[in-house]
Amino acid sequence: MANVSVAAEWQLLYNRYYRKPELYPLRWKNIDLSRNKVACAPFGGPIAVIRDDSKIVQLYSESALRKLRIFTSSGVLISDTVWKNPGGRLIGMSWTEDQTLICIVQDGTVYRYNIHAELIEPNVTLGKECFEQNVVECIFWGNGVVCLTEGGLLFCFPDFKVMRPCQLAETGAEDLPNCMAVIEPKYTVSGNVEVLVGVGDGILIVDEDGVQRVDGEAVQGPVQKMVVSWDGKYLAIFTHDGRILVTDINFKGVLLEYNCESALPPEQLAWCGLDSVLLYWDDTPLLMVGPRGDPVHFFYDEPLLLIPECDGVRILSNTSLEFLQRVPDSTVSIFKIGSTSPAALLYDALDHFDRRSAKADENLRLIQSSLPEAVEACIDAAGHEFDVSRQRTLLRAASYGQAFCSTFQRDRIQEMCKTLRVLNAVRDPEIGIPLSINQYKLLTPSVLIARLINAHRHLLALRISEYVGMNQEVVIMHWACSKITASLAIPDATLLEILLYKLKLCRGISYAAVAAHADKNGRRKLAAMLVEHEPRSSKQVPLLLSIGEEDTALMKATESGDSDLVYLVLFHIWQKRPPLEFFGMIQARPLPRDLFISYARCYKHEFLKDFFLSTGQLQEVAFLLWKESWELGKNPMASKGSPLHGPRIKLIDKAQHLFAETKEHTFESKAAEEHAKLLRIQHELEVSTKQAIFVDSSISDTIRTCIVLGNHRAAMKVKTEFKVSEKRWYWLKVFALATIRDWEALEKFSKEKRPPIGYRPFVEACVDADEKGEALKYIPKLADLRERAEAYARIGMAKEAADAASQAKDGELLGRLKLTFAQNAAASSLFDTLRDRLSFQGVS
Amino acid sequence: MAQIPNLDNSPLNLKSLREQSQKDLVKILKDIRGKKCLVIEPKLGGSLSLIIQTSLLKEYGIELRHLSAEPVQTDCTKVVYLVPSQRDLMKSISSHVHDDISKGLQREYYIYFVPRREIQCERILEEEKVHHLITIGEYPLYIVPVDEDILSFELDLAYKQCQVDGDTGSLWHIAKAIHKLESTFGVIPNVRAKGKASVLVSDILDRMHTEEPMNSSEMALSEINTLILIDREVDMVTPMCSQLTYEGLLDEFLRINNGSVELDSSIMGVQQEGKKMKVPLNSSDKLFKEIRDLNFEVVVQVLRQKATSMKQDYTEMTTTNQTVSELKDFVKKLNSLPEMTRHINLAQHLSTFTSKPSFLAKLDMEHTIIEASSYDICFDYIEEMIHKQEPLVNVLRLLILFSVTNSGLPKKHFDYLRRELLHSYGFEHMATLNNLEKAGLLKKQESKSNWLTVKRALQLVVEDTDTANPNDIAYVFSGYAPLSIRLVQHAVRSGWRAMEEILKLLPGPHTETKRLGFASSPSFATLQGASNGLDKIADGRRSLVLVVFVGGVTFAEIAALRFLSAQEGMAYDLIIGTTKMVNGHSLVETFFETIG
Repeated sequence: MANVSVAAEWQLLYNRYYRKPELYPLRWKNIDLSRNKVACAPFGGPIAVIRDDSKIVQLYSESALRKLRIFTSSGVLISDTVWKNPGGRLIGMSWTEDQTLICIVQDGTVYRYNIHAELIEPNVTLGKECFEQNVVECIFWGNGVVCLTEGGLLFCFPDFKVMRPCQLAETGAEDLPNCMAVIEPKYTVSGNVEVLVGVGDGILIVDEDGVQRVDGEAVQGPVQKMVVSWDGKYLAIFTHDGRILVTDINFKGVLLEYNCESALPPEQLAWCGLDSVLLYWDDTPLLMVGPRGDPVHFFYDEPLLLIPECDGVRILSNTSLEFLQRVPDSTVSIFKIGSTSPAALLYDALDHFDRRSAKADENLRLIQSSLPEAVEACIDAAGHEFDVSRQRTLLRAASYGQAFCSTFQRDRIQEMCKTLRVLNAVRDPEIGIPLSINQYKLLTPSVLIARLINAHRHLLALRISEYVGMNQEVVIMHWACSKITASLAIPDATLLEILLYKLKLCRGISYAAVAAHADKNGRRKLAAMLVEHEPRSSKQVPLLLSIGEEDTALMKATESGDSDLVYLVLFHIWQKRPPLEFFGMIQARPLPRDLFISYARCYKHEFLKDFFLSTGQLQEVAFLLWKESWELGKNPMASKGSPLHGPRIKLIDKAQHLFAETKEHTFESKAAEEHAKLLRIQHELEVSTKQAIFVDSSISDTIRTCIVLGNHRAAMKVKTEFKVSEKRWYWLKVFALATIRDWEALEKFSKEKRPPIGYRPFVEACVDADEKGEALKYIPKLADLRERAEAYARIGMAKEAADAASQAKDGELLGRLKLTFAQNAAASSLFDTLRDRLSFQGVS
Repeated sequence: MAQIPNLDNSPLNLKSLREQSQKDLVKILKDIRGKKCLVIEPKLGGSLSLIIQTSLLKEYGIELRHLSAEPVQTDCTKVVYLVPSQRDLMKSISSHVHDDISKGLQREYYIYFVPRREIQCERILEEEKVHHLITIGEYPLYIVPVDEDILSFELDLAYKQCQVDGDTGSLWHIAKAIHKLESTFGVIPNVRAKGKASVLVSDILDRMHTEEPMNSSEMALSEINTLILIDREVDMVTPMCSQLTYEGLLDEFLRINNGSVELDSSIMGVQQEGKKMKVPLNSSDKLFKEIRDLNFEVVVQVLRQKATSMKQDYTEMTTTNQTVSELKDFVKKLNSLPEMTRHINLAQHLSTFTSKPSFLAKLDMEHTIIEASSYDICFDYIEEMIHKQEPLVNVLRLLILFSVTNSGLPKKHFDYLRRELLHSYGFEHMATLNNLEKAGLLKKQESKSNWLTVKRALQLVVEDTDTANPNDIAYVFSGYAPLSIRLVQHAVRSGWRAMEEILKLLPGPHTETKRLGFASSPSFATLQGASNGLDKIADGRRSLVLVVFVGGVTFAEIAALRFLSAQEGMAYDLIIGTTKMVNGHSLVETFFETIG
């Protein structure tokens, strides 16, 4: 039976089955792992191969220059380059999480390559000490590395994304360590990397801040090799006396112990998932040790490389790549020899069904209520299969079972099909990413897509992202950029068309980013064409500036209505162009021009004057000068009446002349002239009165001050000098006299001649000063009866007010006056009678 | 009672908006470890008092200071500036830093710009050579809920900047604020704009939609049905008139700032000599909510009635035997006593202003100008004001009203009044006059005024207004119906189309947009059918109209809007957005520029 043949390939370790299906026969030729340094990226990533310069190897028909070659996991060459880097021997080589190849040479220089074997500038170095001491060993983890120097110092890149080296604490040990292992930052309490150093008789934990010695039953005597499990919880140790131990990361207890009977440490020590440990010496079979039971031996006649994964180990040899994993429980339940689990019965039922045997039904009846579990197991097992036809059979079994099963979640099969399609697509030898389903889930689809586009597998990436319902923007964006880089020979217009066709697929994609890339690749014209399509001004405008399209940038910024963008462009042009050219650019554009003026008004006065002069707006210059004159006045250094008035007046004069240049500004010109004159007069007044109270007050205030000071002649002089109207003159003088309570003078003034504005000012001044007696002198002289009534009312003379109001025949006024006298009952009844009489008259 | 309004009754979930702003601010403060000195620009501090209680800030190890030209006195090594993106403030901050350097003080500086960092500010920091010493961040506070139906964008200079400087930066902010609202409450399907700035805002908003299309799946069904944008430029008459509602008058005389007034405690009957106290004014105060929008004449009566009924209750209480439940009712009524006292005190204080003959004369004059019947009387009155050197703002308010209704003054009068102004108040006001001229508020007459036509067509002057039982919005100005609100009234009722002719008489273009990209929404069909006016949203809730005033709105106008929304047959709740709460004074003051 087919079932039997499946399980026949399994190996039993205590009570667990292991299998190692071949993922690929390798397509490469003449690669001998033993001659080369090899770095394999986890999650089915690429393989980097370079001749090992620490070994003496015979050269066949090949160049003496070493070549760095990068293959897919299926052994298809992706790229290669000649290794010419200085710095001595290559010590460590490993892939980072984002698939950059890190190569560390003796002097501590770090060379970085992308998957296309292109050197990523700049090269980084571990530092001066490393340069002097030589690196002897590197321990990598997903995103960092720890390097050991000949002097026993430890250096570290905690994060390849930042590439900032740091030195760890000195161990103080005399000898170089026997072995080292790293606990990744994400698994340590401190969040910093910790290094386990096997030195002398024990293990030290070293981090940035200090060194700590380890105690524990697992550590008794020197340690020759150790490795941390991928989840950072366990440690496998190979001891000096040939035993392999597994302990938890805090060295509490021993979970596994096995004597390998070898004094030499294994060349490679690797975790297979979390269940067993693999040991590899190059002259003995590969040894797999589990917590209990006899170890398993795998026989190989060629050199091997163990690539630990989260759920197993990939075994790379010269000719093939295998995946050693613990057989998943669902698979065991179906294919284990003699299994009668519901899942096995279901699988069997499908077989009978295909052969049109009635036993199919019998099997189903046997399963009965366990059918959902059986279906689930078949789906799960299908997921773990690498063999497509077996995936299909298992899924068909599941689907067959589901037909009899009403309660099962129907989209489970569909989901698994989706996942498997993705997995099978990337497992294709041409692509060469042999992900297991667990790895895929851990890696996440978005990272897988990022890796595919990184390897320039855009179409596949696009299809996958569409298929799993992810945003395709990343893929299209990367494609567009790669396309630009790769299409130096295609003319701009053609390339633009090609790009637009695909960019249109994705709403909201950043055309500006693509354009920026085009510009970086020296294709400014293409960049300009692309950026035209960017809808977001905030992205478009900066780019237009960087490609020198200043005019367009200014236009687009203005269109956006975002003043901040306009300023961005303005400052850019302002800095780059000579002033006149700058002025020319903004002059005809209202928004940029006004924003410039507004900024310059606050911060660049002189420059603004230049601008106004260049555009012939002389009045604006005049205003600026006038303003400056005021600032001079406010200057605390300029005590009032000081000679500083000279420059002030000069500025105002200048302003006046500029205003006079244009007909439209005669008013301003006149005002400036008067202002200058006023300052001169005020200055004289301050000198003659020896009181610094005139400068910067208004003409009216100056007149008032003069009157208050009793200097009527000066007041008169100011009046005639500025042709102050009689009306204003009367108000000013009346109020000024009231201020100094010179009632006599006021009365005299009222009799000078008939006041041009009547006697109201006199009344108001007296009422405001609460001088009823004085007010009464003028109230009867008020010509308007209403005014008279109100005036009486204001000084509380109800009867007189009522009389005047009734004379005026104004009912509304009477009503209002009544309100004023609301508290006074007698007065209010008076108003009522009067009003009644009025309305009566009105009716008759 | 707190100054921060209770937003529970808001037609939109403004509370979540405010909470987000609180969180943003707290996060900024938390992310800067240790003790720090927080220096807030005073006006911004005022706005923040509507977002978060300052006492809460102190929990994050903060010394609080107001930004001024004086250097910051503190022991903290970290100084955090929270400032609006204004150029002039950069000079102060730079001088602080230079001052510290000269004293050998080593400090860490942070500037958080509200609502976003701007290149023009950073440029000044660069020129002052302090940019590299400062960590710069943003506090995206675009919207401040002032009350349950009022949102302020806190752009107090917006109108002046647009009209005088041609700096339309604030319009982008308004659009951004609306866009933010849309991202929470859904895309607003109908947009109506009147006035240059409004149309610009609407354009920028459209642009934002194309730049960052809202995902239709993420987009909630729109809670706001219509956006009406009114440019202050369209109606400069209304804010120049004295507001006559209770809240409006409080603002005119006492200046409401961020939902509270500050006055002598003696006025409020608290015997602490010379001490100022803040009285919060928002809808959390039930009595205030009831009377804020009434004409002040009526407020006095309402308060009197309430007081009398309370007194009656009290006498009944002392003379007759009461059941427990009656007692309970009485005590409940007593709870409103503090509110009663507060408003009686305020009203009394207000009436000392309103009973002055000069105030009544001014109202008279305002009406005479609006009636536009006797030019000479108005001219003489204003001339006399100048001669008497009455406060310049008062003069300018009336003068603007005069100039706007006459579409400018004859050149002779224009020059004469300007000369008298300069002579009376000083030549430094040349710049102020120049600003007003640029803004078209005080200008030479160039064409015949169409104010009379507008006034008649929109029935702006309503005779015989019954302020106690109003049947028209005109009650807020005792007989003048605010032009801006008349426009809104029409826009809500029938859209612009029915009034094209009148709109053409008013400054600036008008647009009416329907937002597409809305096809996926199930309510699309009903909205489509509602091209004339608006429909109720299916679930029976009243649909919402957001009215945004570009350049500010007065309390009286808001009162009129609330009156509209409370009318029978009005199917919409109104929510008001504004660049800032303004009145004639604050608006005119933004144009002030003493040279220097």
